[in-house]
Amino acid sequence: MDRRFFLSSAAAGAIGSALTACGGGGEPALEAAASSNRTPTNTTTTVVAAGTAVKSRVIVIGGGMGGATVAKYLRLWGDAISVTLVERMPTYTSNIMSSMVLTGQRTMSSLSYSYDTLRSKYGITTVFGEVVAIDPVGVKVTLANGTVLTADRIVMAPGISFDAVPGLGTSDKMPHAWQAGPQTTLLANQLKAMPSGGVAVLTIPKTPYRCPPGPYERACLIADWLKVKKPGSKLIVLDANPGIVTEVDNFTNAFMGLHGNVIEYHANAEVTSVDPASMSLFTTAGTVRGDVINMIPRQRAGTLVATAGLNNATEGRFAGVNVLSYASTVSGAGKVHILGDASATTQPKAGHIANQEAKVCADAVSRILSGGAPDPAPVTNSACYSTITMSQASWLTAVFQYDTATATMKGVTAASGASTGWNQDNFQDMGQWFGALMGDTFA
Amino acid sequence: MVLAALAWAGTAEAQVAQPGRLLASNCFQCHGTNGKGPGFDAIAGKSVGEISKKLKEFQAGKEGDGIMTRHAFGYTDAQLQALDKWLSTQR
Repeated sequence: MDRRFFLSSAAAGAIGSALTACGGGGEPALEAAASSNRTPTNTTTTVVAAGTAVKSRVIVIGGGMGGATVAKYLRLWGDAISVTLVERMPTYTSNIMSSMVLTGQRTMSSLSYSYDTLRSKYGITTVFGEVVAIDPVGVKVTLANGTVLTADRIVMAPGISFDAVPGLGTSDKMPHAWQAGPQTTLLANQLKAMPSGGVAVLTIPKTPYRCPPGPYERACLIADWLKVKKPGSKLIVLDANPGIVTEVDNFTNAFMGLHGNVIEYHANAEVTSVDPASMSLFTTAGTVRGDVINMIPRQRAGTLVATAGLNNATEGRFAGVNVLSYASTVSGAGKVHILGDASATTQPKAGHIANQEAKVCADAVSRILSGGAPDPAPVTNSACYSTITMSQASWLTAVFQYDTATATMKGVTAASGASTGWNQDNFQDMGQWFGALMGDTFA
Repeated sequence: MVLAALAWAGTAEAQVAQPGRLLASNCFQCHGTNGKGPGFDAIAGKSVGEISKKLKEFQAGKEGDGIMTRHAFGYTDAQLQALDKWLSTQR
């Protein structure tokens, strides 16, 4: 009877927002600096320290969805570990919902999260700066100012970085807007300035990339916006993959049906080079010109992973890890853990599941540092909502169980799938989901 | 009960000895840290068996065809009971 027991919609919670789905790791997170202070001021944690102690020390590099969560849960789940979070930026900008900045439905400031609560409530030490080197064997992190931090474990959550796009150089004419920030504002302004009857282009890179449904939902959202704001315009979607990579029924129906008069979809169209001067893309399916071009390049782990020599998977793009603990599989580097978008696993690269990977990692690191072994049967889950229009959404979810035979996280078939179609209730739920997820990560 | 939990919490062992906690943390993204919100319906501090019963009802299709109906199939019965039991301690 109580149908809303779990999924209430939130008439009351309409607090504000219209939002978009999917999520990211903490990108610009990486490289940072530190202070020598690694004694957290443990203001709130409930507990009276048992034994005084020398606490174990963990350095977390990157304060996005994965990094913030692992730092929080290492402290929430016990007082035996001191945590230093090293991050470039003093605030985090959410990738989740950032496509709605493009349609004017959200502001950048509404996507901004500080690290204040992680400090005050959980006693995490934050250091804002740049990491320049990691010694995975000696478990040391060197900062740009020369400081060397040592710890018992390092957890890296550096998000993604992009392949260089031949011909693009430093031009700002083809923003990716795939790491929320100045690029998002840039693309929003370019769309706003586009004439009615114009041509916008969105490119989708080869998998694996951050947020599998993300480019498709962005395409739907922009198409819906173009209908209203820029009548007669077209959106060309160039997909480097052989077809829509996820939530195939919904996106196919939306592309061919609902937005069929705006979206022109091309599979197997990979960008090989570009010319910003003529706003041209040279692709495996021919040359395409646009008035506005959202060029989302192919991706790899945040640069620090390669700097540390831990990019041993996916043809050197991502970090191989043991999914019981997210420890690196590089020989001798087992005291460095890599989670979220930067790691190579069977799980999607997205903020919601990065949060769960972080909890598995926090639990495992806590156990290991107290002389135990990781939980042998972890479970993770992914969930997100996709904007099919500016007011309606679909949902997508998956649950992963550890499979001992393959030592991978294996998707549970019955628990993985998407909504049948889209509606306004899902759009409202999306707002509630986003608020809850960010709360579990930053507060 | 609560006292026992507090007494534990400060030790390294406590981090290991909480069956169900890591499983239950799968709920936190949507139901809040420790199931206490903010988010969708609060799931902390219910009577033992209440949450697992609800999740079985989702599996049985008694709760419509929303995201939880799909999601509920992700856990074994033993896992549902373990996370239920841990959530029931969160008051």
